[in-house]
Amino acid sequence: MKAPVKVTVNKKAYSVEVDTRMILADMLRDELRLTGTHIGCGTGSCGACTVMLNGRTVKSCCILAADADGQEITTIEGLSTGAQHLHPIQEAFVENQGLQCGYCTPGMVLSTLQLLTQNPSPSEDEIRHGIAGNLCRCTGYQFIVKSIQEAAKSLQGKPAAPVANRG
Amino acid sequence: MISQEFEFHAPKQLSEALNLLQRYGDDAKVLAGGMSLVPLMTLGLLQPKIVVSFNHIRELDYVNEDKNMLRIGAMTRHSTIKTHQLIARHCPLLAEAASYVGDVQVRHRGTIGGSVAHADPAADYPPVMLVVGAQVKLQSAKGERVVKMTAFLKGLMQTDLQPGELLTEIQIPKLPEGSGSSYQRLHRVEGNFAIVNAAAVIEKGFKSARLGLGGVGETAILVDIGKRLTKGVNDEALRGVSDDAYAASHDAYGDLNGDAEYRKAMARVYAQRVVKAAASKIG
Repeated sequence: MKAPVKVTVNKKAYSVEVDTRMILADMLRDELRLTGTHIGCGTGSCGACTVMLNGRTVKSCCILAADADGQEITTIEGLSTGAQHLHPIQEAFVENQGLQCGYCTPGMVLSTLQLLTQNPSPSEDEIRHGIAGNLCRCTGYQFIVKSIQEAAKSLQGKPAAPVANRG
Repeated sequence: MISQEFEFHAPKQLSEALNLLQRYGDDAKVLAGGMSLVPLMTLGLLQPKIVVSFNHIRELDYVNEDKNMLRIGAMTRHSTIKTHQLIARHCPLLAEAASYVGDVQVRHRGTIGGSVAHADPAADYPPVMLVVGAQVKLQSAKGERVVKMTAFLKGLMQTDLQPGELLTEIQIPKLPEGSGSSYQRLHRVEGNFAIVNAAAVIEKGFKSARLGLGGVGETAILVDIGKRLTKGVNDEALRGVSDDAYAASHDAYGDLNGDAEYRKAMARVYAQRVVKAAASKIG
């Protein structure tokens, strides 16, 4: 069965027809070619597929694409216009080596954005709770926590909101 | 991509949704937050013919109150339960329980109605629902009925919901002024289901006391511990509570997270912890 889906992704309107069996993460990657959203476990455990739905982080592998009709989505592509103009959170991850293989990074960055939007100066404990839904199998989390602490410092006084959009 | 074909409906009105459930009966599966249903469909463990999403029905997302009762719409997300002022004031242990559900992303999408209707034996809400005396409103195209949580939870992921019926509202009596309450759980990794969980409510002056346990039977279990606490919370009372918790856990199951004896032993520990914590909060 096919279903029409109208979504706004990174402030750009899309209108597509999807198979009702398609999950949101697949729609973003295969239909909209926004491949920054990764799929790890596919069952809601790892957080690699984290996107923002109406301004709140969700796991896009646990949402049917057809159910996203009429909603507003921000993916990692919405945070910066390119490698030379990274979001301050992305800068902090680069500067503090908050990644190794990078597979979990888009989800980590979006969970950081969510955390710092609600809590601009989180404690280490609050940071660890904030990224509890994002698994990293490389770093042991130390440098990720440091990256988030540095991002919080560099964002002081500035809104931790998506800064750019494509199109 | 989910392998099995299904028909998808996303009504915007509750009446329209209830008509769909009436028409398709047992073939229809209700999609609330989807935090359990969508992965189960992806894994092929559930293959419903019809999926009816309730995510576009705004009238089921609310928290309000009347004189004695909190009323929570079934599509209220866990993140709202965790932070809502009315819940913090009149049923703080429900907010405590919500803070343990999944992780940030899961709490943004998952719903209280979905969790309660899913009836996982170690879910966070059921022990709380039992100790506060919650009831659920079940609606269908033909009418509605209100069922006490003790009667709603029937067994392992089994509830009193009939084909065509939808859980639309959770009704929670406000805790009496000055009551102490607590919810705690044992888990190895944050975001996982609890191995054992427990909730307690103690009325001011030890007029009544109830204990709820999860993870130690097919459903959450309610234990009246009022008689144990008539003289307050002392060592003897806590030993009694511990024995009650152990006895109530006689049907505990074992899995990779812990065998039955371990769960029963932990039921003793967590029963005492929540009772002590609840007593310390009596106002």
